[in-house]
Amino acid sequence: MTVLFESQFFTSYQAEKGRYFIFDFNHKMIKLSFCQLLAFRQKVKEIDLEKHFTGENEHGMEILLLCNREHMFIFNTLEVIDLKQFVKGTFAMLELNSLVY
Amino acid sequence: MKDLVRQKLSIHVEIMDLLNEQIKKEAHSSSIYLAMASWCDHNALDYSAEFFYEQSLEEREHMMKIFRFINDNGGTAYSPEVSTINHEYNSLEEIFETALDQEIKITKSIHNIVFQCRKLQDLTTENFLQWFVHEQMEEEQTIRRALELFDLMGSEGLALKLLDERIPHIRKK
Ligand SMILES: [Fe+2]
Ligand SMILES: [Fe+2]
Repeated sequence: MTVLFESQFFTSYQAEKGRYFIFDFNHKMIKLSFCQLLAFRQKVKEIDLEKHFTGENEHGMEILLLCNREHMFIFNTLEVIDLKQFVKGTFAMLELNSLVY
Repeated sequence: MKDLVRQKLSIHVEIMDLLNEQIKKEAHSSSIYLAMASWCDHNALDYSAEFFYEQSLEEREHMMKIFRFINDNGGTAYSPEVSTINHEYNSLEEIFETALDQEIKITKSIHNIVFQCRKLQDLTTENFLQWFVHEQMEEEQTIRRALELFDLMGSEGLALKLLDERIPHIRKK
């Protein structure tokens, strides 16, 4: 496994063999196909962080269902901020890899 | 490290986001034109109604073209949600003016994606979008021809009826 990106709470890897990615959420590791990776990216993009600060999201929690509802995650505000960075960083590394490949 | 992303996806991921935004815009256009068709129908402007039904269908086709392009190239297209469609208009002229504004907005949006394609060197999508650049030019010309009719004929009383009958001819054959 090659490390793609490491944020404060999460780490992403690309598998050496096989066509998949691994996300390490500290307590849980999940395997994602490219298609699932895109879906994950979209879900994280859609999270409206502002709502965590205006009180619209009362409890400051986000529930994310991933990989056709196979996994469920609950993130707090700090984790969501980190998650957004994490996804950006992961895709930036993938893009960099495309450029040098 | 092998390029897994490129193995799966032929277009740039950020361009994919913009294309998904464009899907929403085309769906929105389609719904706007449908509302306009309804207004025309209620005001006994049959030819204009027909024009906007047709226009609405075309916008949906544009949307589907982009939708399939994303999925065919390994991306994920998202089915759009459409909201806040205005159904209140004061006149047919206002409808055509609004339609032209809408087309100009879409043209700008398409051009913006082309510029981003150049920046990110996504030739595949840039080439795909050339059809839309051309289509937008024609769409603007069509609606402008309708507005010229208002300048020419006015829209009081019988003139409006006559103008309505000319609407089928504003499309380029
Ligand atoms: Fe369109
Ligand atoms: Fe159009």
